[in-house]
Amino acid sequence: MKRRDFLKWTAVSSAGLALPGGLGALGRMTEAAQGPDLVVAKGASTPQVVRAALNAMGGMKRFIAKGDVVVLKPNIGWDRTPQYAATTNPDVVGALAKLCFEAGAKKVRIFDNTVSDARRCYKQSGIADAAAAAGAEMVYMDSRKYRDVKLNGTVLKSWPLYSEIFEADKVINVPIAKTHSLSVLTLAMKNWMGVMGGVRFRVHQRIDESLVDLCRVIKPTLTVLDAVRILTANGPTGGDLDDVKRLDTVVVGTDQVAVDSFGATLFGMKGSDLGSVKLAAKAGLGVMDLTKLQIKRISA
Amino acid sequence: MLTRTRRISQGLFLALFLFLFIQTEAKGTDELGWPVKLFLDFDPLISLTTFLASHTVEGLFWLSLVLVGLTVFLGRFFCGWVCPLGTLNNLAGSLRKKRPRPPGPGWFRFKYYILVAVLASSLFGVQMAGVLDPLSLTIRSFSLAIYPALSYAATSLFDGIYRLNLPLITPASEAVYDLLKKTLLPFQQPWFAQGTFIGLLFLTVLGLNLVQRRFWCRFLCPLGALLGLLSRHAILRRSVSEECDSCGACVATCQADAVPAGKEKWRASECLVCNNCDDVCPKNAVSFGLMKGRPTGGLDLGRRNVVASFLSGAFAVPLLRISPLTRPRMSDAKLIRPPGALEEKGFLQRCVRCGECMKVCITGGLQPTLLEAGLEGLWTPVLVPRIGYCEYRCTLCGQVCPTGAIRKLPLEEKQLVRLGHAAIDKGRCLPFAHATPCIVCEETCPTPKKAIWLEEVTVKDREGKPIRLQQPHVDLTMCIGCGACEKHCPVVGQPAIYVTSAGESRSEEHQILLQAT
Repeated sequence: MKRRDFLKWTAVSSAGLALPGGLGALGRMTEAAQGPDLVVAKGASTPQVVRAALNAMGGMKRFIAKGDVVVLKPNIGWDRTPQYAATTNPDVVGALAKLCFEAGAKKVRIFDNTVSDARRCYKQSGIADAAAAAGAEMVYMDSRKYRDVKLNGTVLKSWPLYSEIFEADKVINVPIAKTHSLSVLTLAMKNWMGVMGGVRFRVHQRIDESLVDLCRVIKPTLTVLDAVRILTANGPTGGDLDDVKRLDTVVVGTDQVAVDSFGATLFGMKGSDLGSVKLAAKAGLGVMDLTKLQIKRISA
Repeated sequence: MLTRTRRISQGLFLALFLFLFIQTEAKGTDELGWPVKLFLDFDPLISLTTFLASHTVEGLFWLSLVLVGLTVFLGRFFCGWVCPLGTLNNLAGSLRKKRPRPPGPGWFRFKYYILVAVLASSLFGVQMAGVLDPLSLTIRSFSLAIYPALSYAATSLFDGIYRLNLPLITPASEAVYDLLKKTLLPFQQPWFAQGTFIGLLFLTVLGLNLVQRRFWCRFLCPLGALLGLLSRHAILRRSVSEECDSCGACVATCQADAVPAGKEKWRASECLVCNNCDDVCPKNAVSFGLMKGRPTGGLDLGRRNVVASFLSGAFAVPLLRISPLTRPRMSDAKLIRPPGALEEKGFLQRCVRCGECMKVCITGGLQPTLLEAGLEGLWTPVLVPRIGYCEYRCTLCGQVCPTGAIRKLPLEEKQLVRLGHAAIDKGRCLPFAHATPCIVCEETCPTPKKAIWLEEVTVKDREGKPIRLQQPHVDLTMCIGCGACEKHCPVVGQPAIYVTSAGESRSEEHQILLQAT
């Protein structure tokens, strides 16, 4: 994408943000005709759970078109192996990549701006191997590809974000559900910190508002919350198996606020316990109230 | 003919050296997959001085005996056929077409005096051979200076073309850049304190070849001197037949000072077995073969000179040790050693400053000291967390250390090693000093139960408005001093949380708690 196209893109997308709520609601209604708002799938075989969840959503073809370049954005922030639930489950990422290819995707690219060393994070999380097995590209962040993006948020006016997120045809957010001492939990919205450049740890000073500001411009096609294992304490890094709880669950939705609101229930909380979810719902970025959502629970 | 074979050998060994050098980099697992310190394992100067200084022998040191044995029979073939620095010196020397005149007939003896001084100081416990050992010097210079500079140059070039965004050219250059990043270039740009200085020293060594070819090898190299002493009775010897008419062609082509003039005089200790004299002889009078005999051209080091060198090396020991830094609990608070490092005295007796640990350090946090550990500790590794912290699940530095100065620890053991402790600067910390939320130190703390814990408090801002936030505290019974918190602290410049060596496991003197775990 050329610089000019990129600027055009940001202008158009910012305009899109300003769409009246009515149009957004209309969009949601047409989606409802094709599938539920959220699918919560449970089962012993993670790849099968992911496949079943996507089928219940109306099939991957509903989201991915032939020839698409797809970005999968898992949480690979830390140098941990999968059983510690500090990084997205590699089977979830691998299964999604396969489904994308089956739906006709041309390329599937996977990356995260890690906190620990990227080489170790990619390898130790098992995601590099899962990506290779599925034929997806595991790419290291290229420091030249962060661009200042106008967010016009309440806290973040503009921030360097990874341009591939905006250049890709489709983006799928693949977070893992973990505790975090500031944002209480780290789920889908918080996962976008992994495409931030700059001194991103500064956003912790106003974390909830900052996450909402990010979600004003980052609109994933799909959000797949990995709750195969969740980390219930000492997050987001973990390291103690006693803090890990096995739920064998995957939550899929198109509304990242709704996914996060449901994600809170996995920890015995409500969406309204998370500042970011509350603020995002208020800003019209998604639905917090689970009673207003069509949630389909399946077991695979 | 033989010179061609020798050049091929030099090229292959240089290639092997560079290959192992480039493989000295993490790839995501805790194994490197290659014996990256192989050249150092074969180095008898390093094993001898480490043995003298520490009175212990590490397993792989025995490989150096192989080189000793071969040298006793074959002479300094290592210098002529193997040594990567020797090869680089050859290449640098060929930049000047005209062979310079030898500076002085006795200069070759100087390296023996250096060797004697180095051995004497090791004998009394100061191991500084690594500063001058050619393999240490080359690995260190490449790791800290030459490679980072080449990487910087390449990255600048490709970034420039990337920014220009030229049709055809930019995509092509990006493809080349991609390939280079996967093969020759480092994963990330290395940054080293003193990189410039260490680079200049190395370029000086190469530049001296313009004064005299193989200046370093002839006059300075202590490993060359050690191998020279071992070669004196080598059975691979040079002989000159009756055909010789003393034309002097061999003298001019000699890579060292082995054939001073007369056909009879040949210094076995100086000969690099390069075979130049054999190839160049117009009468074909020179040949090398296996034969017995005494060296004809002696060393004549001079007893007084040897004694003076020995005394200099020996006196260096007290002279280096009178620094207050050597006193108990007086060491530099920021002298944070890598995980598995021996206690300071033992560490300095073994560290050969090769820079392997700094090269392999996954975060780039291991840096060469200047005077933090006294002059005796020059260029030994220190962790500078602000540059890079110690990655919790990495043990690579202990794996590449050639002398066991950093012990090779199993991961479970390494994770319990305390490099020091973190301390919070409440005057800079956002939740303490500025009523502003921040938990980054706690978030990045890697221990399974976090060593940094948060206290929920209500503080007041300037207007007296109450603000609920979390203030961090360090639990000294759990903090391992890895420095992840210091690295990521968003307070720019001097961080609000920082690590000092206080509490480091390797020193009984440096404990803070009555009952250190």
